[in-house]
Amino acid sequence: MRTLSSANLWKFIGIAAVLCTVMLLAGFGYAVKDMLYPKSEAYSGSEDLPALPAGGNLSESKEINVTAIGDSLTKGTGDSSGEGYVKQLVALLKTKYPDTAVRLNNNLAVNGMKADQLAKLLDTDKGYRFALRQANLIVFTIGGNDLFQIAAGASPSRMTGELKLDKLQAELPQGLDRLDAITKRLNAINPNAHVVYVGLYNPFYDIGDYREGSLQIQKWNERAYALLHRYPNMSMVPTFDLFENTISRYLSSDHFHPNHNGYAQIAARIVQSLE
Amino acid sequence: MDRLLPLIQNETLKIWKKKRFFVIVLVLLILIPVFTYAQLRIAETNKKNFKDWHNQLVQQINEYQNMLSSDRIPDEWKRSRRIAVQQLQYYLDHDVNPNSPDGVTFTRSFMSNAVTLFFPLLVLAIASDLVSGERTSGTIKMLLTRPVRRWKILLSKLVALTFYVSLTVVVSGVLCYLISGAVFGYNGWEIPVFTGFVIQGSSIESSFVHAVPQWLYMLMEAGLIWVSSMTVAILALMVSVLVRSTSASIVTMMAAVISGTILSSMSSSWHSAKFIFSVNLQLTDYLAGSPPPITGMTLGFSLLILAFWAAVSLAVSFSVFTKQDIMN
Repeated sequence: MRTLSSANLWKFIGIAAVLCTVMLLAGFGYAVKDMLYPKSEAYSGSEDLPALPAGGNLSESKEINVTAIGDSLTKGTGDSSGEGYVKQLVALLKTKYPDTAVRLNNNLAVNGMKADQLAKLLDTDKGYRFALRQANLIVFTIGGNDLFQIAAGASPSRMTGELKLDKLQAELPQGLDRLDAITKRLNAINPNAHVVYVGLYNPFYDIGDYREGSLQIQKWNERAYALLHRYPNMSMVPTFDLFENTISRYLSSDHFHPNHNGYAQIAARIVQSLE
Repeated sequence: MDRLLPLIQNETLKIWKKKRFFVIVLVLLILIPVFTYAQLRIAETNKKNFKDWHNQLVQQINEYQNMLSSDRIPDEWKRSRRIAVQQLQYYLDHDVNPNSPDGVTFTRSFMSNAVTLFFPLLVLAIASDLVSGERTSGTIKMLLTRPVRRWKILLSKLVALTFYVSLTVVVSGVLCYLISGAVFGYNGWEIPVFTGFVIQGSSIESSFVHAVPQWLYMLMEAGLIWVSSMTVAILALMVSVLVRSTSASIVTMMAAVISGTILSSMSSSWHSAKFIFSVNLQLTDYLAGSPPPITGMTLGFSLLILAFWAAVSLAVSFSVFTKQDIMN
């Protein structure tokens, strides 16, 4: 550069700068044209769904991919460590199958999710389908918001009003229809994966008037079992007994979601149910 | 016109000899590797946690949805997240990775993040002492005693400034591509990028969304960056004419630019802030379809505001510079 004379340096800078300016102006012009007069052309991407995992026993598969969907229970709300039952389950699976690679694929649970919303997502959402197809173990919780929100008229976490038990009963069939749709769609998306549904419990067992609610919850659990029973790869893990006499030990301070220890019990039960 | 070209040559070489452009290149050479390294670490973490970019994207959407379901989050913030969710979902639905790990994608996001602060800063390094520097060193007297009309002198300074703004934008992009490409790979030119998201309230209208190859997107982005950098440059030229000391001129412009960034992040309730130039600098957001800092702002609006500020500054610069008395 030092040998460059002033005249040559000027030529070099000048030409480079003019070229850059012209290019940038062209880019700006194109951007304005493109944004003010957009031409809409549909872009059709190439759908590349992952191959289904091999069916069969988890202990024999090379790797275990866990995908979790559902509501706040799967999200892990109430667990101050943030692990919930899903991460604890993955940790337990690692110790149970030391020779297998266990990974949490996705935890797609959303706080406040209801069964009809989940059914719709399974129908339309590509991301859900993608994550579910990769999995050979699917865990999910759903239904709690459908029942308790309807019965209380508000979201369960800020429930203050009265829980109407007769309403709970009236809503059971509708909620179960939605669960039916979910199981059907799960089976359509990934018939090879092992699916575990975590049953409902009555978080208000220790509150005199609402103890009766447990009977409705049991009806739900019983019918839910029947829905899952149709598919040999689906199973259900009960939780109702964990949250009766040991509520103070296993429920978090919001008196609805389990705490870390409560989630640990759920995770342990899921692992027990897997061969 | 016959006397103008030598003047431009003179001004261009003066800036070059003052080594301002070397400083800019040096800053880029230091900062870009730092950002590249940071991005590399993020990519490594994601690789460990996610099997595939689909999983990462799905998880990101899910996290936003969980935030949206919370009652404690301000509405304004929710609105922008809601829009982000819909855009990410659009990418997911069309099987396009919005954050593909390659040199071109890194350059694209670096450039768009740099538009509100980093580029104005680089531009100020050149523009702030164009006139005030001549005053400080006393060379302005020699410049103005030559038999040349004063407006020609200022015009030649403006043209030289434009040259360096263009060079700064292009060199930043090229350096960023070369450095990050060494780590992430030199590909990604043809990856489709979606543009044309129309924001209506808290949802997006996707009927005008179309895919452009990433190289074209980068070109459009660079053009928009150039326009906002030029606005800053022209304003800085005016300040440099009005203010006697170079440091005062830099501080004034920096304060204006930084206050714009702060205002953008908190001006949801003060609507007339949208007439301030520095709130309108993030032109690349319109291309990407991110919500503007104040509802109702559009590309056309921002361009008008920037053009207005630039025109006023030019008028002030030229009228003051041609009439001003030069005293020490």
